[in-house]
Amino acid sequence: MARLQINNLVKKYGDATVVDGVSLDIPDGEFLVLLGPSGCGKTTTLRMVAGFITPTEGHIQIGARDVTNLPPWKRNCGLVFQNYALFPHMTVAENVAFGLEMRKVDPASRAKRVDEALRMVRLGGFGERYPRQMSGGQQQRVALARALAIQPDVLLLDEPLSNLDAKLRQEVRVEIRELQRELGLTTIMVTHDQEEALTMADRLVVMSEGLVRQTGTKRELYDHPADPFVAGFIGRSSFIAGHVTTRGTFVTDQGLKIQIAEHFAEGPASLALRPERVALGDAAKGLDNVVEGKVEFVSYLGAVLDIHVRLGDHDHVQDRIIVSRPTHGAPEPVEGDVMTIGWAKSAGLVYSEK
Amino acid sequence: MVGQGLQSLIMAKAGTYDIEKGRGSTAASLILPATIFVAIGLLVPIAILFRYSLNAFVPGKFMVDALTIENYVKFFTDPFYLAVLWRTLRVAVFCTVSCLIFGFPLAYVLARTQSRYKNLLIIAVVLPLFVGNAVRAAGWMTALGNKGFFNAMLMKFGLIDKPLEIMYTETAVLIGIVAVNLPFMVLTLQSVIEGISRSVEEAAFSLGAGPATMTRRVLFPLAMPGILAGTILTFILAMNAYATPVLLGGPKFQMMGPLVYGQFAQQNNWPFGGAISFILMTATILLTMTANLLVQRRYQTR
Repeated sequence: MARLQINNLVKKYGDATVVDGVSLDIPDGEFLVLLGPSGCGKTTTLRMVAGFITPTEGHIQIGARDVTNLPPWKRNCGLVFQNYALFPHMTVAENVAFGLEMRKVDPASRAKRVDEALRMVRLGGFGERYPRQMSGGQQQRVALARALAIQPDVLLLDEPLSNLDAKLRQEVRVEIRELQRELGLTTIMVTHDQEEALTMADRLVVMSEGLVRQTGTKRELYDHPADPFVAGFIGRSSFIAGHVTTRGTFVTDQGLKIQIAEHFAEGPASLALRPERVALGDAAKGLDNVVEGKVEFVSYLGAVLDIHVRLGDHDHVQDRIIVSRPTHGAPEPVEGDVMTIGWAKSAGLVYSEK
Repeated sequence: MVGQGLQSLIMAKAGTYDIEKGRGSTAASLILPATIFVAIGLLVPIAILFRYSLNAFVPGKFMVDALTIENYVKFFTDPFYLAVLWRTLRVAVFCTVSCLIFGFPLAYVLARTQSRYKNLLIIAVVLPLFVGNAVRAAGWMTALGNKGFFNAMLMKFGLIDKPLEIMYTETAVLIGIVAVNLPFMVLTLQSVIEGISRSVEEAAFSLGAGPATMTRRVLFPLAMPGILAGTILTFILAMNAYATPVLLGGPKFQMMGPLVYGQFAQQNNWPFGGAISFILMTATILLTMTANLLVQRRYQTR
């Protein structure tokens, strides 16, 4: 349990820079999620914290200790791997006891702590089993107990849920989160699943191409994405290319005029719209932007409908945006319908193109 | 061994056509060819040999039908033959342990390397197997001889005054057998180590185990099937080595393999040759099984 500071971490393999100057300050007890597409450097960053990869530049500090040049076995990080990585030749209890044995904990208190750790993950009484006799979810909980038993300064989770099926994933997700809060463990989790990230994190870090794109709470990231990448990666956005001609006015490349908030600078830009911020039919009336659109595609997602709408009149090929609304209530639109859609100018996020 | 595998493979392929007819008969027809091959190719000759070993040898009359343990008694009461058996055991154990010590790190590196030259490295390990046993021993003869490569180099650099006597000593045989057997050990270990997930090792590291502890507590126990298989393979090969002791050990250096050959081909004493064969085989099997049991007990009661 300690504060974790990562300072300007860089990892290069030959000419390729995998992690390009990542700095993070994670306060004691925070659950931080590193989120990004595969190859964005999130796993490399985690592995540098764990000590499996030596950074090319930068420093890592756990509590008051600079661990940058310490080997993994001297870092006191609890690790949970995607494939569980349990020791198959040891029983569950032996697995959990391994880290305590390495720390020369005497056998009596070792047994007690193993018991405690297993009970924490609701596997009390499973100690004598072998990992192969357990289900995937149980194995992952053993892995978690093994990492928690050593009372780590930092808990590192490397896509811990991606080998589990959807239902189990949700259960284990909540379990991990509750335990983490209860124990006040400073935690970093790596994932490419944004739903997972949003449900678990205190704070999120979105990475791509080795860079930190944005760090913030879920709300900050969702409501104020720093760039189009984040806008597209956290939640969904429709993008429209165009120009900010004068303050408060955005003209699409096809010539459609859209009102936007005043603070966006003039010049070439793209406009991002969240599907749920766009209203349909009567609800659209009276909003800052009201346009006609033709429904091109409707996809039913259970609770919501995604309606793909082509903007503007039919003579020009216009941009397509996605509108989502609750499934029940108004009659479902069908392909070919012409509908009124609208959104407040505060809903449009504009990113100038440099 | 290769011939046998190939034969059963070809036969098994022919057998797959039965799949449409029925599962049970398919399985039987798949294992039958190899079973018959093993029975005729291995068990029958061994049985005949065992029968021969109980016959009497009368000089000039070749082999006389009898039922006697005279040949076995002869072996175990003659210090010369016991010395040969003891020497064979010593050489085989030494070579097997050396192969394990040299082979494990090499196999580990081969299994874990991310290098794009990995296949090339594996071929480099296998390459010596492309050259026959005898040809390789001949190569060692030129390298280890009194005027050979090693001695010439050492003398050139002034490290020694007169050539080291390596050829026709136990040392030469040890070097030769280790060189022949090492690829078998490395390949066996490599395939097993490759099956051990790297993240299991990393888990051990993260829990506070240094490399030595990780190797002892995690890597070795998990690699144990490979260690056993590799050890058994190299031990059997070393116990039965023929070409290497003959060529590098010279006429005065006797091991069990050449001894058997000598009794059959030179002395024409088939009964005694059969007895020696059986003693060699029994010793190999007993030691292999003992080692197997010891290792299993050591690693399963933990």
